[in-house]
Amino acid sequence: MASIKEIRTHIKSVEQTLKITNAMYLISSSNLRKARKQLNDVEPYFRKIELTISDILHHSPEIHHPFFDKRPGIPPEKRKTGIVVITADKGLAGAYNHNILKLAEEKMAKKPNFSLFVVGQAGRSYFQERGIPIDVEFLYTAQDPSTHRAREIAELMMDLYLDGKLDEVYILFTKMVNSFQMEPTVHKLLPLDPDVFPEFEANRDSYNRDVTYVPSVRAVMNRLVPGYIKGDIFGALVESYCSEQNARMTAMKSSSDNARAMLQTLNLSYNRARQSAITQEITEVVGGAQAAL
Amino acid sequence: MAEAHTFYLEIITPERQFYIGPAEALILPAVDGEMGIYPGHEPVVTVIEPGELRYKAEGQWEPAAVGSGFAEIKPDYVILLVSSAEHPEEIDRKRAEAAKARAEECLRQKQSIHEYYHSKAALARAMARLKTRR
Repeated sequence: MASIKEIRTHIKSVEQTLKITNAMYLISSSNLRKARKQLNDVEPYFRKIELTISDILHHSPEIHHPFFDKRPGIPPEKRKTGIVVITADKGLAGAYNHNILKLAEEKMAKKPNFSLFVVGQAGRSYFQERGIPIDVEFLYTAQDPSTHRAREIAELMMDLYLDGKLDEVYILFTKMVNSFQMEPTVHKLLPLDPDVFPEFEANRDSYNRDVTYVPSVRAVMNRLVPGYIKGDIFGALVESYCSEQNARMTAMKSSSDNARAMLQTLNLSYNRARQSAITQEITEVVGGAQAAL
Repeated sequence: MAEAHTFYLEIITPERQFYIGPAEALILPAVDGEMGIYPGHEPVVTVIEPGELRYKAEGQWEPAAVGSGFAEIKPDYVILLVSSAEHPEEIDRKRAEAAKARAEECLRQKQSIHEYYHSKAALARAMARLKTRR
């Protein structure tokens, strides 16, 4: 049996770890609530942009816009693919980072001509360790997603796409299905696919058929598409952030529970050791007294 | 047939829902000049530039400074999606002036095309604020 002193140090260290995991649990849950609220606030705005694009697409299906250009002339093995991976800045979030990185590796295996853009420190150090080249100037943290950051990422991706440096762009993020289930997801950012826009509902209102676009359909589209892509990226950032916080919350909760269970058994063996030490001392005293008689 | 007297106006930004309610008239800064809207307007979708917007609600003209965005106009409702919207009393004149000076300063520097667009947009926003605040 371990000595009393050893057990006492063990208990102390477990108690301290418990304090940390518990604090992290509380922080994650408050961050999660904040991020959720933010997503709910901006959703109607981006949803409306999406609806208007789909109205335009059905209104004038013949429109040719660079963002909808699939570049069919380029063979699949030569297509330059941009992959944006959203990871966490820190570990200690269960399998969160591992899952999204595994998905990224799968995607990279399929696309020989890829460039990686990584959000979050955990992903960056993972790829650097493995010697996989990533865009070193693409430095964004996963903390506190903002529309401003989403705009910068969107502008960069649109530039690379329009310059022909990338032929397609994917974004890999973790979708929060519900608070128990998180799913690493691949989403195609560019080129836009007319089919993914929600089906035009003829009955939504009666005016849509004869809408005029001022000054032109193209000008309206030029304004809408960047907004839509920005919304897409922002949505992905927030979803990932929520998933990260949720994963960390779950991980920290289970480690807090483990620490509590551990403390209980440690306390038990501490008491037992103390008891046996006392018993032994008494026996010794009694034995000594008897010998003196 | 009696034309409806008001239309339903929604001004939405990513941060908040700026105004939702009935309005009698609306003047918005479109790309090619100001555009006035009364109830029963033909359906139009248009692009909005940073500038001053005015809407008439309960007989009162209310000004507001808006950022870039777009508007969807239907005979009985108008939805404006803009990057920002502010009431005149929310605008800090000194800050807007400082922002204008800063944007002008930036425009004189050599910068990338993106930075140029950002500075130009910042300048347009500052001017719109100053115009609304007066």
